[in-house]
Amino acid sequence: MRIVVDILIVISIFFAFAGVVGMLRMPDSFTRMQSSTNIATMGVLGVIIGGAVYAAFGLHEPEMVVKLLVLGVFYIITNPISGHAICRGAYKHGVRPKKEMKCDKYGEDMVEDK
Amino acid sequence: MSELLFFAVCFIVLALCLMIRVILGPSVADRAVAADSIDILCDMALILFALHSGRSIFLDIALITAVLGFVGSTLVARYLEGRL
Amino acid sequence: MKKASIPAVISTAVICYIFWLLISGGLVALCKGTPDVRNMIVGLVVSIFVGLFSAKFFIHENSFYLWNPARLVQLLIYCIFIFPVELFKANLDVALRALNPALPINPGIVKVPVDLKSEYGEAMLANSITLTPGTITMDIVEEDVPVEETVEPLEGESPEDAAAAVSVRTKKQTFYYIHWIDVATEDPKAAGDMIKGTLEKGVRRIFD
Repeated sequence: MRIVVDILIVISIFFAFAGVVGMLRMPDSFTRMQSSTNIATMGVLGVIIGGAVYAAFGLHEPEMVVKLLVLGVFYIITNPISGHAICRGAYKHGVRPKKEMKCDKYGEDMVEDK
Repeated sequence: MSELLFFAVCFIVLALCLMIRVILGPSVADRAVAADSIDILCDMALILFALHSGRSIFLDIALITAVLGFVGSTLVARYLEGRL
Repeated sequence: MKKASIPAVISTAVICYIFWLLISGGLVALCKGTPDVRNMIVGLVVSIFVGLFSAKFFIHENSFYLWNPARLVQLLIYCIFIFPVELFKANLDVALRALNPALPINPGIVKVPVDLKSEYGEAMLANSITLTPGTITMDIVEEDVPVEETVEPLEGESPEDAAAAVSVRTKKQTFYYIHWIDVATEDPKAAGDMIKGTLEKGVRRIFD
């Protein structure tokens, strides 16, 4: 049981590490947002599932299991909403990618509307 | 299980690395996203500490922090869009 | 803003009450056989009040849509089996991209058509795409696209008139603008197949 919990948490730390490295290395705002999604999905799920296993079989506290699962569901529901809102807000505020994008259909259609 | 504390320290170190992005970040969106991620990483450390100490009150604190982080980043997004 | 209907209030109150029971520990006490009656009554009153005031933000149509065992089972299958597989694959892909010294990214924004009937399905698919690392839905628009069909000209009607009559006909089509970290193709249909993958099929099974 301890080994399973440790493996799940180490997977989570690996993905969180990859997300942090991506956020520090990526060239523009939007790709950095992609890396932050990496932190908020697998980085969270590993700890939540590992923690639920540990609380159920190591601590024998069902209340903590329920709270952990509610926390995980809450993260999974709310993260895409704020990510979507920040992405669109940044684009409308005038943040443009530094590196040349391959195609930018959104910008083209916004220019056509004006 | 004292390795839970070690994992929590790993998460805190990752969060401190993200402070570089908050300080450097050229635009507001970068800072908002990085601050949101710091919030999530600190929550993970809090969860691990709750598991280590066996007290479920820390899970309530983590839930409140998650709610506040979501509200804050959505508010920043509304402001950026100019609809606040 | 329009007023909330009674079924919407009931739906929201039930969901709020479930969350109350989960967080306040009422459900665990109930399963142990020692229910905390006062806690549960307070939760019921509070969740009805919350439902009265906030139902109009959440539910606009078909309030009891998910209160159907078949759809709930489909939703559980989607959340437990279909979605995590896609999530794990995309996560591994983006993580390896970020850790690669050469940083092989190729970002761009593509426009993808989506065929879903209900608003809930569109919102759920957009959130699933955003939650998958590597793709972020930026906006959802509804546009008129011409329907491609050939019609035989009627009697006493020249072929040009028939063609004109056909080209006027349009239908509503929903488009997503998706920021993609590795643009493989700019063609809307092919990009849609690559991004949505099995997700759209799962969502359609729930919400159609």
